[in-house]
Amino acid sequence: MGTSPESVDVLLSLQGITKCFGAVEALVDVDLQVRSHEVVAVVGDNAAGKSTLAKIVAGVLSPDAGVVELGGHPVVLPNPAAARAQGVEMVFQDLALCDNLDVTSNLFLGRELRGPFGRDDARMEEIAVQVLDSLASRIPSARTPLRELSAGQRQAVAIARTLIGQPRVVVLDEPTAALSIPQTAEVLIHVQRLRDLGLGVVFISHSMTDVLAVADRVEVLRHGRNHGSFDTATTSQEELIGAMTGARVAPRRLQVV
Amino acid sequence: MVRKAPGSQSSLRAANKALVLQTVQRWGGLTQIELAAATGLSPASVSTIVRDLFAAGVVETATTTRNGRRAQLVTVSRRMGLAVGIQFGRRHVHVVLADFALHPIAEHTLPLPFEHRVDTGLDRATVLMADLLERVGASFDDVAGVGVAVPAPVEAGTGSISVAGVMPGWDGVDIAQTLSKRTGRPVYVDNDANVGALAESALGAGRQVRDVVYVRASYGVSAGVVVSGNVHRGYAGVAGEIGHVMVDPQGRMCRCGNRGCLDTVAGGAALAESVRPVLGSLTLTDVVRRAGDGEPACARVVADAGAQVGAVVAVVAMVVNPQVVVVGGELAETGEVFLGPLRERIGHRVVGNSVAPLEIVPAELGSRAEVMGAMLLALQATEVSVPVSPETAVEVV
Ligand SMILES: Nc1ncnc2c1ncn2[C@@H]1O[C@H](COP(=O)(O)OP(=O)(O)OP(=O)(O)O)[C@@H](O)[C@H]1O
Ligand SMILES: [Mg+2]
Ligand SMILES: [Zn+2]
Repeated sequence: MGTSPESVDVLLSLQGITKCFGAVEALVDVDLQVRSHEVVAVVGDNAAGKSTLAKIVAGVLSPDAGVVELGGHPVVLPNPAAARAQGVEMVFQDLALCDNLDVTSNLFLGRELRGPFGRDDARMEEIAVQVLDSLASRIPSARTPLRELSAGQRQAVAIARTLIGQPRVVVLDEPTAALSIPQTAEVLIHVQRLRDLGLGVVFISHSMTDVLAVADRVEVLRHGRNHGSFDTATTSQEELIGAMTGARVAPRRLQVV
Repeated sequence: MVRKAPGSQSSLRAANKALVLQTVQRWGGLTQIELAAATGLSPASVSTIVRDLFAAGVVETATTTRNGRRAQLVTVSRRMGLAVGIQFGRRHVHVVLADFALHPIAEHTLPLPFEHRVDTGLDRATVLMADLLERVGASFDDVAGVGVAVPAPVEAGTGSISVAGVMPGWDGVDIAQTLSKRTGRPVYVDNDANVGALAESALGAGRQVRDVVYVRASYGVSAGVVVSGNVHRGYAGVAGEIGHVMVDPQGRMCRCGNRGCLDTVAGGAALAESVRPVLGSLTLTDVVRRAGDGEPACARVVADAGAQVGAVVAVVAMVVNPQVVVVGGELAETGEVFLGPLRERIGHRVVGNSVAPLEIVPAELGSRAEVMGAMLLALQATEVSVPVSPETAVEVV
């Protein structure tokens, strides 16, 4: 579509992604596009293929077929480090944080900064404070041990962790799943902040309320296949649930080009 | 109400005490000098009364600055209770816990879907309120009153929305009663522009004057009218709903059932729709931010909205003759991009008077105006009983 406004700033584009685990077709010919400054929700029933899709974007799994493009160029992401190098960061469903370490150490886990005399703790803490600030987070101090934080704050640390690598695309797999409403409020605000920072966000969730609150667009997966694309400004919860459960055929598959 | 033989010296003092307390309550917090001006009492008697009320634990004082000078700020004692302000927007709910001086103590913002439902909204607000109270070691019992702002006209008697269709799914629900049942506290509900007007006229840009029109331009456009210091709500709470003034007879259908309302050309959805062909899908917040940054398409639609809103506000200004038009809501965050054309259009359409020109100024309380106003609404309606001391039996009702 050349220079139409819809095609500018496409950060991430998946085309025809297929992934099987033995006889299980986790994903079949799936398309997904995410632009700068956009939150795209991916919803679907259990085992619909959401996490598999996320892991392909994050370089944890390799697709059997299909193309992944970042910034308009086809890429191969054999591992998470390769994805990070291309500007893709992910928060996994189980967070993968270390309880006995403080906030700063968790943010830099596996990519500690080094100065002439070893770990550059001062610089890491400085960046940690900046990143927490940019998310408007309510974490008291970058030195607080993780075990002292609430579930919502831990999720905030996991989200902040994605910003250390200065990403273009952030993938969040069910970030509000185990949270109370006040904690959810904070995480949703963080998601909005990521969008405001100009990032593309893939937001996986089971909560239609959360999805419709912060996403610009919702992509429904059903049995590993695209099953409708919805603009959140004009979509009701009932429509989404209908598409997810297959009770109705998705009324319109918006061609996003 | 003063329960003592009228005419006696002590009953006069009691009445003055009640007046001072009511005045502090009404404004949230006033300096002693402002209190004297607002009550008509001499600074010396205000000072004595404040000392008495302080000794009784009813008010607190703190040092502050007004116009660069040190002053004694008088507020109702935190021990007297807490206030909660809740603002329902089209895309979020904002809950603020404050003391009686309206100093925010803790707050939450939760993004909500378009056309969020009343049950979800009230439930979420209650849970957020409980969480804020828990955070400061308080309980629902410590809350004197809850004020709620909604983006629709509200009928004061029933506490429900008085124009069907403006907030789909909220019609026919007694918001005040429902929330009061959940929280066990008194709840007061009003239109967001009305409470915004209340806050701006009591604490913000309209502080110095008695007649104010507050314009709130956001997802919808509405106005709050303050006449002689009081919000004018109208018979069914619809006064100031300028978003539903018809400006284009051939325009789009509006959710209110009418056609070509101001909201359909200058409301958030209309602005987002206008820039879509060149910028793609944006939220109102995106449009506002980009307009503020000088992006030409966004700045253009915001400026044009300013002129269209100005044309309607001019008529309101001719009816009300305010000293000040205070402009708030998200669009006002673009500053002169929105205000400039609005001011110009009003200037062309309002007849000048030789006493003082009509001023059009930005709101001072920003995105807090509505929650602050909601809390003021609750505090003004709350009964604060003053502990009885032997020589001054006073009860403010
Ligand atoms: N590593 C794996 N090995 C074998 N099968 C797998 C593997 N990962 C996923 N699957 C299968 O692929 C399908 C899709 O799983 P996936 O985790 O992507 O679903 P999901 O949409 O994230 O579900 P949930 O909502 O439960 O998180 C499921 O049938 C699952 O059992
Ligand atoms: Mg999953
Ligand atoms: Zn209308």
